[in-house]
Amino acid sequence: MRKIVFISFLLFSFFANAQDDLLNMLEENDESIYISYLFKGTKVVNGQSVKLPAKGVLQFNIQHRFGTLNSGLYNLYGLDFSQVRLSFDYGIKDWLMVGVGRSSSLKTIDGNSKVRITRQIKDGFPFTIVANSSVYLKQWKYTESQKENFLLANKLSYVNQFLIARKINRNLTIQLTPTMVHYNLVEIKDEVNDKYAIGLGGRQKLTKRISLNAEYFYQLNDKQNNNVLSLGFDVETGGHVFQLHLSNSPAMIDSEFITKTTGEWLKGDIYFGFNISRVFTFNK
Amino acid sequence: MVRQIINLVLLLSCFSVNAQKYLAKDGVISFFSEAPMEDITAINNKVSAVYDKDTKQLVFQLDIKDFIFPKALMQEHFNENYLESDLYPRSTFTGEVISQRLGNTIVEGNLKIHGKTNKIKVDGILKKENNTVNISAKFIVKLEDYDVEIPTIVMYKIAEEIEIEVNIELKKVK
Repeated sequence: MRKIVFISFLLFSFFANAQDDLLNMLEENDESIYISYLFKGTKVVNGQSVKLPAKGVLQFNIQHRFGTLNSGLYNLYGLDFSQVRLSFDYGIKDWLMVGVGRSSSLKTIDGNSKVRITRQIKDGFPFTIVANSSVYLKQWKYTESQKENFLLANKLSYVNQFLIARKINRNLTIQLTPTMVHYNLVEIKDEVNDKYAIGLGGRQKLTKRISLNAEYFYQLNDKQNNNVLSLGFDVETGGHVFQLHLSNSPAMIDSEFITKTTGEWLKGDIYFGFNISRVFTFNK
Repeated sequence: MVRQIINLVLLLSCFSVNAQKYLAKDGVISFFSEAPMEDITAINNKVSAVYDKDTKQLVFQLDIKDFIFPKALMQEHFNENYLESDLYPRSTFTGEVISQRLGNTIVEGNLKIHGKTNKIKVDGILKKENNTVNISAKFIVKLEDYDVEIPTIVMYKIAEEIEIEVNIELKKVK
């Protein structure tokens, strides 16, 4: 018995000398590791992604959409038509952002806010979930809207959605986007005001700095137009992200492209567009 | 009786081995890189370290994701594209003091970054006080030695050499 005690002490003091043992002294019970960087951009293609600008970061976006590819050489395959949206996104906290934007089409001003509810954890909670809420003010003037009793509220529409994403591996992220769109004023008499849709999107990194993105919104009720399918190509170059898109909708705001897409991919109603974003950092 | 004494001595020597160790959990390692567009700096103040006074062995360990950059986007690129912290979450150094002269200390050992290990020799200062050991050093690391790729298309080119600064106060383990 004594011998065993003797030997164990001896061994003990030998072990204590090994370098690995010094490293072992530093081992801690691992805190939960959050999975980060699910998308490169704050949008998958046109719809919102679970990514928020970091705290104190202002992101300036310039978005362009051209005409359809099938509009012929005379229109330089759509490039003669162009609409633009300018927007700012700002990260108040790492989990909270606000954004404002204006689209030239229908002269729409929009504001949105994203709140991150929970994050994907390595070997833990499987999803990053973000709530997005947007409001749109369509300033387009038409006969009806010029009447004196036309309410400002009639120009408003809203989008509320949950963005549920999972980084499946280091290159592939999939996002599911249950969405509710509400129009205070609808275009057709029997059209419903509340429309539901479910979005499926994702990104596959091709290289460290280039990714291929895709996004599809399926309308669940009162479908008056086509579903929107968009493909994107993100190229990251330091402070900028360039995004090139093809979509059957020229719109850049959710209240337009989810339910009001008229283009058909198979007929060649494909709109080319690009985004450029630049970030400015304001935290000390 | 004799055996009991021997056992007691061994027991004590065992404790004394432990008593010669110094530990830190909040050491600071920062790096600096000069680039044409803007200089790149980052700081990690969650570095842990152990120094064994008897064997002169020294180890450091840090999590790559704990490096804080002044710009979030730089931090993202650092983690995603350069150091790939999802694949290689940790960097470690294991080495020992090979000479100590006039306050100047030379440490030699293995530095592991981005999954790659290289032997390095660093000149620094190791100051012993009552219950603490202060370690400070500055050295240069070449990115290519650790297989960190520098892309050609990025706007801000990254320098191929990075200056690393270490500042750690270790406390005696009781």
